[in-house]
Amino acid sequence: MTLNHDDWGKVARMMSKRSLWMVHFCTGCGAMEMPPVMTSRYDMERFGMHAMATPRQADVFLVTGYLAVKTLKRVVQVYEQMRDPKYVIGFGSCTINGGMYWDSYNTIKDLSKYIPVDVYIAGCMPRPEAIIDSFLKLMDMIDKGEAIGWKKYHKYYDQYKRNQRMAYSYRLDEVEDIKEDDAK
Amino acid sequence: MMAKELFPEAQELRKGRIRIETTKDKVTEIVKKLKENGYEHFVMLSCVDWIKDGKFELVYHMWSYEYREHVMISIKVDRDGDSMVTLRDLFPQIETYEREIHEMFGVNFVGNPRLGEFILEGWPHMPPMRKDFDTEKFVNEIYYKIPEVKEE
Amino acid sequence: MKPIVKEYELFIGPNHPGATGNMSYHIWVEGDKVKKAETRVGYLHRGFEKLMEKRIWMQNVPLVCRICVPEPDVNEAAYSMAVEDLMGWEIPERAKYIRTIILEMARLSAHLLTVGGIAASLGIYTAAQWGVGDRDYLLDVFEQITGARVYHIYIWPGGVRWDVPKNTKELLTKVLDYLEKRMPLYEDLIIKNKVFIRRAADVGVIPKDKAIKWGVTGPNLRSAGYQLDFRKLEPYAAYDKIDFEVPYYPKLGEYEVLSEGSDIYTRTAIRMLEMQQSINIIRQALKDMPEGDVLLKHPQWFAWKVPAGYSYVRVESSKGEFGYFVVSDGGKKPVRVHVRGPSYTHGINVMETIAKGLNVADFAPTAISLDVCPPDIER
Ligand code: SF4
Repeated sequence: MTLNHDDWGKVARMMSKRSLWMVHFCTGCGAMEMPPVMTSRYDMERFGMHAMATPRQADVFLVTGYLAVKTLKRVVQVYEQMRDPKYVIGFGSCTINGGMYWDSYNTIKDLSKYIPVDVYIAGCMPRPEAIIDSFLKLMDMIDKGEAIGWKKYHKYYDQYKRNQRMAYSYRLDEVEDIKEDDAK
Repeated sequence: MMAKELFPEAQELRKGRIRIETTKDKVTEIVKKLKENGYEHFVMLSCVDWIKDGKFELVYHMWSYEYREHVMISIKVDRDGDSMVTLRDLFPQIETYEREIHEMFGVNFVGNPRLGEFILEGWPHMPPMRKDFDTEKFVNEIYYKIPEVKEE
Repeated sequence: MKPIVKEYELFIGPNHPGATGNMSYHIWVEGDKVKKAETRVGYLHRGFEKLMEKRIWMQNVPLVCRICVPEPDVNEAAYSMAVEDLMGWEIPERAKYIRTIILEMARLSAHLLTVGGIAASLGIYTAAQWGVGDRDYLLDVFEQITGARVYHIYIWPGGVRWDVPKNTKELLTKVLDYLEKRMPLYEDLIIKNKVFIRRAADVGVIPKDKAIKWGVTGPNLRSAGYQLDFRKLEPYAAYDKIDFEVPYYPKLGEYEVLSEGSDIYTRTAIRMLEMQQSINIIRQALKDMPEGDVLLKHPQWFAWKVPAGYSYVRVESSKGEFGYFVVSDGGKKPVRVHVRGPSYTHGINVMETIAKGLNVADFAPTAISLDVCPPDIER
């Protein structure tokens, strides 16, 4: 039996979903529930997951909660340093719509405007069980080939960059310049 | 000596809470005197925006482990372009509070070399903790207006 | 051969396992020695104090607990006490005892994390696993009492939200017994461990004569040789009715005094001793707790108008003095709430000063042993 290109993709996905390494970057207060998940009680290592300090060796980025604009810059940098395929989990209501900081001048509200998000976890803060559940869901999506956030980032790179630049400068009026850039 | 003996004009809010209202030029002297008299823990420096009076109120909090007493020294400065001398030589940690107040309210502290960007990065608008900065309006105008990524 | 580069810069954090949360240090290094350090914060700035001015008094309770993630209850307690102070309320006796229990449980769980963290930063990873694991038993009790694991929103202006469940005493006693049994193991693993002692004794020293002047508080101040604790100096909750000791250098109980104090070793030892005291306090509070109401009968909280005035209230958290400066003009919303976090001085001023001369490898353990927690710096 010979394996064609598609089958190899399937094998690769099956392998990669079982060894997801996670960037160890505590961005918001949701990071408090990560130690229990990483250590003995909930133990994410039984799913082949492991915290990794360097982004270059990691596959999953857990954005744990609200992002201040200053952190967004670092997050984007870390995200861009990660190798493809890479996945993002948005953790807590802050990444969905701003959560309880909906009117704060320094937190970005909707994470998916700045980087593509594959899975969201609801809750403030989500329980460890919910985190584990999201990991399983992500594995399932990888297996089926549905976790394609990183492809979107390549495809709509201009739009993501434009949004990021707007947030960095706390202004909207840069939009015009960028549109011109796009046209060129 | 306790704060009430040193400064008869001090007013007692409740037991262990003293408030001294004074003016800009006397603060250094008062803080120094309290420091020499057992009020050796500088708690914090806070700023209150009284927009109706057009004033910022700077409150210096000090605490004495000996007398178990908390003193708030309060002064008023103008909201626009007023400045204050730094007290970082008396207590080193004041420097950080001054940096924060400079960034969040826009009060200038003469003699503090580290004023500048501290918490925010590249903030182009008015200092955000001022009462006339409307965060809800700002959020509606910026974050919620940033377009979603359109997929074809 | 002469070295080509003599001095170089290092960035520790924000994405760094040795940084205590989302903050970073910028250090200038010559050889292996730190020449200069600068703390960079602001990665977690949410503008709490601005948001609190826009919300009514009661709505701020769920906000304030987010100011210190490992130990949220001190914030609720301090804010509630400030509101009660302005309102002139005296809370029911039972509520005071419940607050004491909750605050001590929070202290225990925060100390477990910190002690484990200090040990892990020196290579003893088992301690971190244990610390986090044992903390989870406390979180389970929290969940039974308050309904949530991390953010409890249980202490309210006027008391606590509801009475503790009937089986609290059994639940808690079981956990405390377990923790007490675990303590000797922690001691063997950390405090009495030769590797730990060699790495931690006389490292990261805060000069004793400067400690108060620099605004150091909490366990860090006590490890410098001052027996100062706001639970004793300005008793809140039910601390004035409970008999407990405040451990300080050089009275380290059963631990040896191995250094001049005020170093990583002493700070860890003090935290271990405080954990034992916390267990003791919870036991006493459970025993002495009177029956009765737990919440004042106050007007509907939409209608609260807090009398005009200034209030400053402080509590002793596991990291040091947590203070709330609350200003009201008699309205439905606060005019200003300013939070004094203990990490504000520890993390910026103290850390920048004592970092000079440290080895690079000792930098992260020093920062962790000061228990610097960034969310209360930038809020
Ligand atoms: S969702 Fe809740 S727990 Fe998570 S970062 Fe936001 S406020 Fe914190």
